[in-house]
Amino acid sequence: MSLRQLLLGFPRSLGASSSTRRLWWSPSLDTISSVDSWRGQPSRSRAHWNQVVSEAEKIVGYPTSFMSLRCLLSDELSNIAMQVRKLVGTQHPLLTTARRLVHDSRNNLQLRGLVVLLISKAAGPSSVDASCQNYDMVSGIYACQRSLAEITELIHTALLVHRGIVNLNELQSSDGPLKDMQFGNKIAILSGDFLLANACNGLALLQNTKVVELIASALMDLVQGVYHENCTSAKDNHITDDIGISTWKEQTFLSHGALLAKSCQAAMELAKHDAEVQGMAFQYGKHMAMSHKINSDLQPFIKEKTSDSMAFNLNSAPVVLHQEFLGRDSWIKQIGEAQEKGRLDYAKLRETIKAGKGVTSAIDLCRCHGNKALEALESFPPSEARSALENIVFAVTRFS
Amino acid sequence: MPYFNLVKSLTSAFPNVYRISQSQVSSYTPAVCCRSKTRSEKYTDPFKLGWRDLKGLYEDIRKELLISTAELKEMTEYYFDGKGKAFRPVIVVLMARACNIHHNNSRDVRASQRSVALIAEMIHTASLVHDDVIDDASSRRGKHTVNKIWGEKKAVLAGDLILSAASIALARIGNTTVISILTQVIEDLVRGEFLQLGSKENENERFAHYLEKTFKKTASLIANSCKAVSVLGCPDPVVHEIAYQYGKNVGIAFQLIDDVLDFTSCSHQMGKPTSTDLKLGLATGPVLFACQQFPEMNAMIMRRFSLPGDVDRARQYVLQSDGVQQTTYLAQRYCHEAVREISKLRPSPERDALIQLSEIVLTRDK
Repeated sequence: MSLRQLLLGFPRSLGASSSTRRLWWSPSLDTISSVDSWRGQPSRSRAHWNQVVSEAEKIVGYPTSFMSLRCLLSDELSNIAMQVRKLVGTQHPLLTTARRLVHDSRNNLQLRGLVVLLISKAAGPSSVDASCQNYDMVSGIYACQRSLAEITELIHTALLVHRGIVNLNELQSSDGPLKDMQFGNKIAILSGDFLLANACNGLALLQNTKVVELIASALMDLVQGVYHENCTSAKDNHITDDIGISTWKEQTFLSHGALLAKSCQAAMELAKHDAEVQGMAFQYGKHMAMSHKINSDLQPFIKEKTSDSMAFNLNSAPVVLHQEFLGRDSWIKQIGEAQEKGRLDYAKLRETIKAGKGVTSAIDLCRCHGNKALEALESFPPSEARSALENIVFAVTRFS
Repeated sequence: MPYFNLVKSLTSAFPNVYRISQSQVSSYTPAVCCRSKTRSEKYTDPFKLGWRDLKGLYEDIRKELLISTAELKEMTEYYFDGKGKAFRPVIVVLMARACNIHHNNSRDVRASQRSVALIAEMIHTASLVHDDVIDDASSRRGKHTVNKIWGEKKAVLAGDLILSAASIALARIGNTTVISILTQVIEDLVRGEFLQLGSKENENERFAHYLEKTFKKTASLIANSCKAVSVLGCPDPVVHEIAYQYGKNVGIAFQLIDDVLDFTSCSHQMGKPTSTDLKLGLATGPVLFACQQFPEMNAMIMRRFSLPGDVDRARQYVLQSDGVQQTTYLAQRYCHEAVREISKLRPSPERDALIQLSEIVLTRDK
């Protein structure tokens, strides 16, 4: 059962009526697009991606639903599901996150867990560990590695939820009443903390102090990455902080790469693979995540049909590279030219950027990380799991 | 005392608790507003004794927060300013020494046990930072809260960061049993916060619910960090259970008194405004006891003191009732239980300091 099916199913199993169920996420259908980084790509490429993922899922034994049933069916989360409905009608970001959890699970949400499982299978059991309990291996993956995949998803989701806290002193009247926004913050903190506590619990059960340390440090990286992401996001005047591509890479590693890299490494540690194999798994996780992020940053600039007014992130890879080629002053001038009465004309700015070298060099950067990910895979023996990991890289580095 | 055993188990039925007659309430008076008091110094001050092993506590915690970004570092270090009571670390190191002496007369605190003291303070602080956002609190320990200075978005990340640093330190102790014990605390803290969201209509369930919340939000951290240092210092499971029971009982007593002080203390003493709990819609011990004398409070409890005037009226009811005394009495019972447990250990200055500490918990006025 996928996460989505679980989420769709569980309010019903708790006896909620279908009308209350609809309230929770149905308003999302028209707004989901703005948060779904994959929606905009050409349908051919998307179909290809879906195919890569569903084939990979077959390899790991069963579909990748990582949020454990225990967690989803707990009183705490069902309580949250009821509370979230109160926020409908406000602009609290928790609603968007809840919608993403339901609608977007196909693409971004389960990818991390899937990669952890694939790399576990690609590495296989360690030769050192021949005595070890092969009995708890299903489809070539240890039970503890499956738990780890689940923990990776829990941490990722917890931070998605914590990203969506709002500053109460910056509210606009259009956001909704202060009381509701306060309430939304409260629920967002609690649900994120709940997911984190479940992740900690799962980690403790793995009984491996090195894995606990690795994943705890991945959490620390991720939190710092989210902090930078918040800080560098564009202010009212649309001028972003002056970060070069090397700072961008560091920060993106923290926010998008560290968790996957360290989880892949930890999966090797759980099977008692040596430091070299662990290092290669780390490299694959890191570079695959980087190339995946750059690919999604590129979508507003390369898709065939663009809804003109659609906003894009001014701290995305193509924009940062564009800025670097251009120089800070010219960039500020270009942003100024694309503004009208304080509103940024994204269509105009997009064309300006497309005319520069930012987009092509972002594609190059995406492929560069993709190649490094493929290189790391060469140290694993050929297998269908390794091919699936390669196919994921091919899918995120394909731009035609 | 059969009724106490019922209270002690967290599933106790409420009527058994509240039928404590006035005559049974001991001579302990609750700490009242702005009262200055002197206590006979029969033993060494437990805080002084504990601090021998805690020198550089806050510097060491700050070293665990290896963060390169200046603002983020400042936020995470904000409460580790050396001005807190370090109540938890003190209990933890005293317990460590008491267990070590009990086990093999060793007078040293192991590095791993001292780490547990740091981790306990870090987990506690991480949860404070999140609680303050949840409650929209504006001051703590006489300063502005992290959320008021840096905003809610950053405050929640600061809490997560402290938690991740605590988890790294915990992993580095290198003991999977200790990891499991302290992970339980993280889970209890969240579940306690969820318990606080809901209220029970049934009066009998309400008191059990309150005690369970109190255990999870406050006592679990003290109980489990005491257990963790006992595991590190001594292989005997009997000692682990003594350490856990002491921490649990002192922890619950600590929170009960905290709930009393919310009614009896001046704001400048607590470093935070009083009647905070009522304003948050929470019915704590004194309210639940008062409700037995003034059933009209039931409606207010159920609407979480949300109507204008509810907070003031509830406060008046509590002060007219014996809710404060009953809660203090209950706290005393928990402390007696803590003392009974810790007395099973071999005598040592640290053991006696822990006994002394349970008394301080009862008589503190801030």
